[in-house]
Order: sequence, then C-alpha cells, then structure tokens
Amino acid sequence: MFLAQAQEKPTLETTRTQELLPLKPKQEIEKLPEAKKAVEIPPKTDRYGVRVGVDLFKLTRALYDKNYKGIEFTGDYRLTKKYYLAAEIGSENKTTDDDRLNTTAKGSYLKVGFDYNAYENWLDMENVISIGMRYGFSSFSQELNSYKIYNPNPYWVEVPALTEGQKYSGLSASWVEIVTGVKARVFNNVFMGFSFRMNVLVTNKQPSSNFENLYIPGFNRTYNGNFGAGFNYTVSYLIPIYKKKVKTETPKTPIKK
Amino acid sequence: MKKIVLLVFIAALSFSSCEKDDICDANTPTTPRLVIDFYDINIPSSKKSVTNLKVVGAGMTDGIIFNTSGTAITKYLTSGNTISIPLKIDADATSYSFTLNSGNTNTALINLDNIKIEYTRTNVYVSRACGFKTVFTLNPINPITLTDGAVPDQKWIKYISVEKSNIDTENETHLKVFF
Repeated sequence: MFLAQAQEKPTLETTRTQELLPLKPKQEIEKLPEAKKAVEIPPKTDRYGVRVGVDLFKLTRALYDKNYKGIEFTGDYRLTKKYYLAAEIGSENKTTDDDRLNTTAKGSYLKVGFDYNAYENWLDMENVISIGMRYGFSSFSQELNSYKIYNPNPYWVEVPALTEGQKYSGLSASWVEIVTGVKARVFNNVFMGFSFRMNVLVTNKQPSSNFENLYIPGFNRTYNGNFGAGFNYTVSYLIPIYKKKVKTETPKTPIKK
Repeated sequence: MKKIVLLVFIAALSFSSCEKDDICDANTPTTPRLVIDFYDINIPSSKKSVTNLKVVGAGMTDGIIFNTSGTAITKYLTSGNTISIPLKIDADATSYSFTLNSGNTNTALINLDNIKIEYTRTNVYVSRACGFKTVFTLNPINPITLTDGAVPDQKWIKYISVEKSNIDTENETHLKVFF
C-alpha cells in the first residue's frame, strides 16, 4: 500500500509526460503503434547525491516509553544506478525491566554497508526497495540496577529485589545485518521509508564476570544464539549532487527524433 | 500519506511491546538446596532410611514438604535416606529441627534435634530469565552445630560429616548424617 501510493505522487507531478503517455505499464508502451512512437520523450536522468535522514521510531519512542532515549541518523550515497553506500549512526539509553533483572544499557553505534535497489523505477520516480548489508559496531556500558535471586524452593520468606548499581563499562560488540527496506519520495527531495534488519553477532565483549550483555545499542536485545532484530522508520532528505542520463537499456524499439 | 504514517506508527508500537519475558527453565541449575544423606552409625558405609522424619525451620510452623501427594500430616514426613533442604538466602545461618518418628503414638520414640548450619553466600548470575542464584560455602570452622531439643532425650543424630563445603549444585551430597 505504501508503495502504490508513493508511486502515484511522482506521476502526478509530471503531468506533461502523463498527457502524452497512457497510464499503462512500461512493456505496453513499447508496443505502441508507429504513429505514437514519434512522440518526443524527455531524456531520463537519475539524480545522484547524499540522502540524510533520521529514525522517527527511535525519536518518538521517548514520548511513550520513559525507559528509552535514542536517536539514529541515516545516510546513503548513490554509487551506481543500483548500489548505494549506506550508514547509520546512533545512540541509545535503554532501561530494561525484566522479571528478575533491571538493567540499563547506554552507548553509541555505527553501521556501514550498502543497499542494492531492486526496484525498477520508470519516468522520474526515485523509489527504493532495497536489500543490503551492514557491519555494525557498538561501544556501550551496562548497569545492573537491581536483581532477584531465583529460588525454586521458597520455604523461607521471598527475598525482595536487591539493588546493585554495578556498572560495567568498556563493553563492545560488532555484528552483521541483513537489511530489507523501502524508501519512497513523498515530495521534492523528501523521502520516507522503513527497514527491517536481522542481526548476527560477530564479536561480543561481555562483562568480565557475573553478568552478560542483555541489550546492545544498535543491535537491540540479545537472544540465545547471537541473533537479533531491528526496525527503523525514517524521513530523509536528498541533497542532489549531479545528474546522470539513463541509457536506454532495451533498445528494441529505438525512439525516433 | 496520513494513513501510512498511522499504519507504520501502529506497526512500530506493536514492535516495541514485543519484548516478552522469557521463563526460567525448571532444569536450569539455580539456588541449590543442602543435600543430606542418612547413614547407619554402626555400618558407616551403608545408607539408612529415617522413619517419619519431620524437618521444620526455626521460627516456622510448617515443615518442609517432602511428599506433595500426602495428607496435611504426612506430606511433611519422609522415610527415605536422603533429603534436600533450602538454606536462607538473606542470612548466613539457617536452623532446622529434625524430628524422628514424628507423630508416633508412642511419644517416647519421638526425638527432636536441632541443627544450625553456618555459611557464606555468593550471588551468581544465571541468565536473563532466571536472574541470579545464591551459592553457599559452609564455614571452615564449626559449620554445623548439633543440639538436643527442649526435651533432654539424648540426640538421635550421632554424628554429622561435611562431604562438600561448596554448595553450588544439588547433584551431590553435602552432609552425611549418621544415626
């Protein structure tokens, strides 16, 4: 639904082209009768530049989750027609209240990688349906605020949670992410999009003793087996740097001038 | 566009509430109990079963439940040759009374002895779901104090030996009680 709507917008803006072309898929345009082929089509150009954005999911989460503060900036640079250099940088401060543990993780992270745009844009659309990879690195600290002792035989009185306040600093982790995402141009140079990420830990520097990394900024909650998952919802702005003319990829029916 | 924003926002909300608490697996070794085996004082290598032993913590009214399927009286009794009793995780000493032939109609057979166990505690991290566990180390000097009950009827327990002073698993015997 997201895509369908997003695609309508750019076509509306290009009313000039629309008058000349029927609203039909690309394949059918090529099958147009001889008379209509003579119509001059403006040369298609792709814009190249830097797109910078912010994750609204993290930003708005602080409004309804008092245990969370976080921000993430995203950026990508278009290398070729299909490939984008992509990165995220962010910071998180999250308190997790589990049944038996209350912990706070604080730290910053950087993710660098690429996106491959699998979406075939036509006319001057600039939408992205991408699959990509990132390598993420996080430097953080963890604080054990309070804990409970698990006693399967509660014959004696239940012991309340013990406050600890032990801070484990100098922790770090790195991981690989598989990213699938969508970005759609909503107007001018403004894009909106979201992405889902599956993470696999590569390195994980844990507290030296008696604790483990339960939440890694950027990676999110840790699960048994080094897997994690993530999500972001971004609004971004494209700063165009240059334009490149698109070569006709399938010159089956050369356009006459 | 508004619809999309709303939709994504709902999706985002549902994601954030996905943090389920996982449950501590019952098979995970957590805070261990003190494992006591009973032996025959005359044949020290041979295990001996107690008869209707009731174990009550100092200051408690009910005993430790040994037999969950028993009646209001018999669930506190054991006639086996091994018991596991929990130690206090908020104090460095735990006292129990051990009553042999508890509930016997012949009151002369009922015999109560007190055992005080002294130790130090360490809280060890287990996992996100289980939190921490407490492991115990019996004091190197006088870890066990055996005294007779209020009724001076001679102690039925003749001797207690410490087999393992580090109590961090229930898979081993920590104390041997000879009677």
